[in-house]
Order: sequence, then structure tokens, then C-alpha cells
Amino acid sequence: MADVLGTFEQAVLLAITALRDEAYGRAILREIESRLGRDVSPGAIQATLERLENKDLVRSRLGSGTAVRAGRPRRYYRLEGSGVTALNEARATVENLWRGLPWPLKGTT
Amino acid sequence: MRSSPPAWSEALLRIFLRPEVFLSFSGDLLEQYRDSVLPARGLRGADRWYLAQVAGIVLRKSLPWAALFAAAYVARMALDWLWPTNHFETRAQVSTAIAAAILLASGFGTSWKSRSFLAGAAAGLATTATATVLSMAGIALVLAIWHDPRTMTAIAGSGGLSEAFFLPVWLMLPGTVIGGIGGLVGAGARRAV
Repeated sequence: MADVLGTFEQAVLLAITALRDEAYGRAILREIESRLGRDVSPGAIQATLERLENKDLVRSRLGSGTAVRAGRPRRYYRLEGSGVTALNEARATVENLWRGLPWPLKGTT
Repeated sequence: MRSSPPAWSEALLRIFLRPEVFLSFSGDLLEQYRDSVLPARGLRGADRWYLAQVAGIVLRKSLPWAALFAAAYVARMALDWLWPTNHFETRAQVSTAIAAAILLASGFGTSWKSRSFLAGAAAGLATTATATVLSMAGIALVLAIWHDPRTMTAIAGSGGLSEAFFLPVWLMLPGTVIGGIGGLVGAGARRAV
């Protein structure tokens, strides 16, 4: 079984999946902010990307720089096979937990 | 008009990140700074935003070492208060050695990754500064649990409350120096490998 993913790790992996070939730091940040509906720290994204890369769930390559970045390269990320497996397992875990329960739940208070 | 963050804040970021990470991450930050933060917040606001991002990175990198340092410090204080002694020498030697080892390791590790010896001194300072805040919280917690007359007498006999709370502040300068020594070794070892 792959590593258990935290919610934020799942958000980063899903953003990379959605962005396909355009998954670099700032694009990932914007994608996550739009999905979560709140501001996210670039440092938190960077730390998570490093952790996911250390776990071999994603791989990165350097691209070219642009003028607005003062020529500094973008680092593009893509999912490894183990990253896809980890995401599928995370989704299956949540669906198993919810099996047989109505959604949204009705509160009693 | 300037459209980049202050050079010193980028320099600080550089010494806390591996060179290959710095290039792409600082590019991401610069892109965001110029594209969205600067137009929305103006130069001062954008500079504050950039500094907050750098501070977040520094805090994230130094927090594990700072937590260790603070834990060692609070444990030493609690030991002196709950099991008082008239002979502090051995305890002082042990706790000083532990603190120095943590700061050396912090400086070594940070410089090893960033390949800059300055990172060691910066890591030592960041570690002791963060540990100061954590230590104050820890000391307050210990006091909240143990504040009987016997413990208060022991506190008075081992330097008093103000020393317990504020000693870490005075450790920032030696912390910077010791972190810098660890940094020299770390950066030197990295270059030699």
C-alpha cells in the first residue's frame, strides 16, 4: 500500500494532475487556491512538493525562465505511477468510509 | 520604480534553500510578486508579503531544531525546580553540551543543504529566536502545573523567574556563533564531498 496522503498532499497531487504539462510552482498554487477557495502559502506548496518528490510520488524537471521571473527557470512536476496509485487509494479510502451513509449528513441539533 | 523584492530578503531566502530549489522557488515568488502582489498591494505591501514568505521558510527550516532546543531548555528548568540541588555544575555542563550540539547540528545541516556557511549562522540565530518563544511558552506551562510554595522557593534559588523566561534571549548571539561554526563545517564538508 502506498503512503497515506494528507489532505494537502492530495490537493497538490490533484492540482498537478489537472494542470498536466503546465504544473509548475505558481500554477499549482493558483489551482489549489481556486479548489480550496482560500489563500495558500507558496512555502507550504514548496515544502509539500519537496516531500512528495522525496517519497517518489512526483518527479520534476527544470523548464525555461521568463522575463517576469528574471530568467529563473520554472520547475515542472508530473505524477509518478506511485503517485497515481496513492491518489487512487486515498479516494477509495474515503469512499469506503462513506459507503452506506447519506450525504450531506443531517445534523440532530 | 523598483519591481523586485529587497535584495537582502532574496539573499536570506538563498541561504536557507538548496541552490537548485532556490532558483525555481525564488522565480515562483518573483512571478507572484510582480504579477499579482505588487499591483494589488503597492511596493511596501509587496515587500511585506515577500518578507512574510521568506520568514515562513526560515521558520519551517528552523522549527525542528528550535523545538529540540526549547524542550532541552524547559526540561533543564523543570529539573532544577522539581529536583533542586546545590551543585548545578554537572547539570550546567550537560545542558550546555546538549544546547551546543543542537545548534551545531542545526548550522551543519542547513549549510550542508544550502552549501553556504552563512546559512549556519542564520540557522543558529533562527533556531535560538524561535526556541526563545517556544521556551517561554514551555516555562509558562510548567509554572501552570507546578506553582506550589516549595517549587517557587526552588525557582528563586535557581535564578528566579525572569532568568527562566529571558535567558534564551541572551543565547541568540552565542547561538548565531555556534550555528556559524556548524555552518563552516557543513559547507566545507559539502564542498569536500
